Amino acid sequence: MAELRIADVEKSFGKVEVLKGVDLAIQDGEFIVLLGPSGCGKSTLLRIIAGLEDQTSGTISIGGTTVDHLPPARRGIAMVFQSYALYPHLDVAGNWALGLKQAGETKEVIEERTKEAARILELGPLLQRRPSELSGGQRQRVAIGRAIVRHPGVFLFDEPLSNLDAALRAQVRFEIGRLHKQLGATMVYVTHDQVEAMTLADRIVVMHQGVVQQVGSPADLYRTPANLFVAGFIGSPRMNFLKGTARQPGSLELDHGASLPLAELRQPAGEVVLGVRPDGFAVGDGATAPVRGKVVLNEYLGRESYLHLELEAGGRVVVEVAPDNPVRLDEIVGLELKPRAAHLFDAASEQRLAA
Amino acid sequence: MQHARAAARRKPFPWHVVVFLAPAVLIYTAVMIYPLAETLRLSFFDRTDEGARFWVGLVNFERLFLDPHWADQFWNALANNFYFFVVHMAVQNPIGVLLAALLSMTHLPGRTFYRTAIFVPAMLSVVIIGFAWKLILSPIWGVSETLLGLVGLDFLFGPWLGKEGSALTTLALISVWQYVGIPMMLIYAALLAIPEDISEAADLDGVRGMALFFKVKLPLIWPTIGIISILTFIGNFNAFDLIYAVQGALAGPNFSTDILGTFLYRTFFGHQLELGDPHMGATIATAMFLIILVGVMAYLWGVQRRMRRYQF
Ligand SMILES: Nc1ncnc2c1ncn2[C@@H]1O[C@H](COP(=O)(O)OP(=O)(O)OP(=O)(O)O)[C@@H](O)[C@H]1O
Ligand SMILES: [Mg+2]
Repeated sequence: MAELRIADVEKSFGKVEVLKGVDLAIQDGEFIVLLGPSGCGKSTLLRIIAGLEDQTSGTISIGGTTVDHLPPARRGIAMVFQSYALYPHLDVAGNWALGLKQAGETKEVIEERTKEAARILELGPLLQRRPSELSGGQRQRVAIGRAIVRHPGVFLFDEPLSNLDAALRAQVRFEIGRLHKQLGATMVYVTHDQVEAMTLADRIVVMHQGVVQQVGSPADLYRTPANLFVAGFIGSPRMNFLKGTARQPGSLELDHGASLPLAELRQPAGEVVLGVRPDGFAVGDGATAPVRGKVVLNEYLGRESYLHLELEAGGRVVVEVAPDNPVRLDEIVGLELKPRAAHLFDAASEQRLAA
Repeated sequence: MQHARAAARRKPFPWHVVVFLAPAVLIYTAVMIYPLAETLRLSFFDRTDEGARFWVGLVNFERLFLDPHWADQFWNALANNFYFFVVHMAVQNPIGVLLAALLSMTHLPGRTFYRTAIFVPAMLSVVIIGFAWKLILSPIWGVSETLLGLVGLDFLFGPWLGKEGSALTTLALISVWQYVGIPMMLIYAALLAIPEDISEAADLDGVRGMALFFKVKLPLIWPTIGIISILTFIGNFNAFDLIYAVQGALAGPNFSTDILGTFLYRTFFGHQLELGDPHMGATIATAMFLIILVGVMAYLWGVQRRMRRYQF
């Protein structure tokens, strides 16, 4: 049992407020990803959970007990660092055993846990090697093993893949996912890579400037982003944003004159921002469509192409099209909205408008 | 053949390499290689009373090691020198490690002050250090008896520099006091090089405080301690100045503080009624060179090779 409760945690370094009241309830066995741009306070939150940093206010409880006064080793957590942070002078088995020895575990227990971790991570033949004799991916697995042998209730990962190359990253990511299913432990995983977040998470916590923007499953965040920040952050290429005014239901007046029929708009809403993902547009006739633009760039990616359009009335959008689409550069094309592709946000508050 | 000769003609002798190397080679030869070679050469010669120099082979070494007139002094100086070295290893380096560990504590107030204060004596002239300590420890006008008296320990006081039993230890401790800043600085730098997240990982493993130091940090600074040890060895076996400044060339009382450096000095340059003997002096210098050479080689092959430099 290791549910994790973060209650109203704030953190300042001197005058700089880094976390501005974070509130989260994480269930036992859940895989939570903290996602956000660099500097938003993800690592700081993780380090507060671990006990490496003290919060300015608020409480952390793990498995029902408040842990604010406990040293890291007694919180029932284990952490994997981005830099691995292995003990350079100890071999793999020694790296794993140090904490257990310190906790006074018997030889048998240590041996058994080492065997278990070696089996899970397939590191058996490497137990006598030192970190300097291992590849980057192996070192990261050793670091994960050091967490496993502690049998923690909560695993904390701080960007564990960012020092690995692309191929290894996919592999270790897959292994972490498998590990989560196998161990069933609670995991909190920090990253700024949305692919990692989307593929691993049960729920994603999107953070920005020390504030939680939205908590939800990957599909929730993708389909119904709660505000402009989340809408722009999740999804690649980014969602397109068009400013406009909603004076009457069913139609949106874009800032540059055109009027876009919009079934989702059921009541007048004033100044709004329309968000449309690149695959939410259909390329239509350049003569009749309400929104038209000139093709300035055609990115061919094999399975799809992305057209970058300079809209006639100003602004740029990116549109996904089939790779065999016959559009040419400088051609004027029309855009139509696909059904259910529109996301509407209030221009002032940046919050999503209920459809 | 034709081709080879043509190639040789096209590629002239690389004179520029010679030109660029020459200054370093010349200077190094003039101040290091030539004196060393000359010293080695001198140790195989002796001279007649008229001053004519003649080859004697290893006779000088035989005299140094076996002839009671020389051997007594030599073995005494060598034993004293080892003792001097052992005191440094046993006192200076552990204290250096301890001070460095204290300095690397993030919460210690006034770190910079301590660091500087402890390092300052290493920058002072040995003559000043020697003179100051001679005054401090003097039984007649020294301040140490009074100071000990203030804490009720004056019964411990004695004329430490004047007694055969304690003079060498006292001198060794003065030298430790002067130079402890150097190992401290080197180890401090090595401790700072250990990444913070290794300490944090240890913290998560419950390894903190003393355990953190002994189980994680100390093993990571062994290579630095190794380097410091060999530097101490070289420094101690070349030592001369402190003894000369405090006790004079006779390294009293009764040669109890005589080390190889002072023995060499007396022999080479002569002292009081004794005339200098460059050939025996060269022999002692050669012996010192060989002792240091053997020590360094033993260290390099036996210890350093087995030690790893850790990359973080
Ligand atoms: N010890 C510190 N003292 C002062 N400011 C700090 C300290 N640690 C972090 N900060 C600040 O807190 C903010 C959040 O830092 P944090 O490391 O949590 O970011 P992050 O979300 O993990 O970013 P990244 O993705 O780049 O790792 C940053 O603006 C950083 O400058
Ligand atoms: Mg971070």
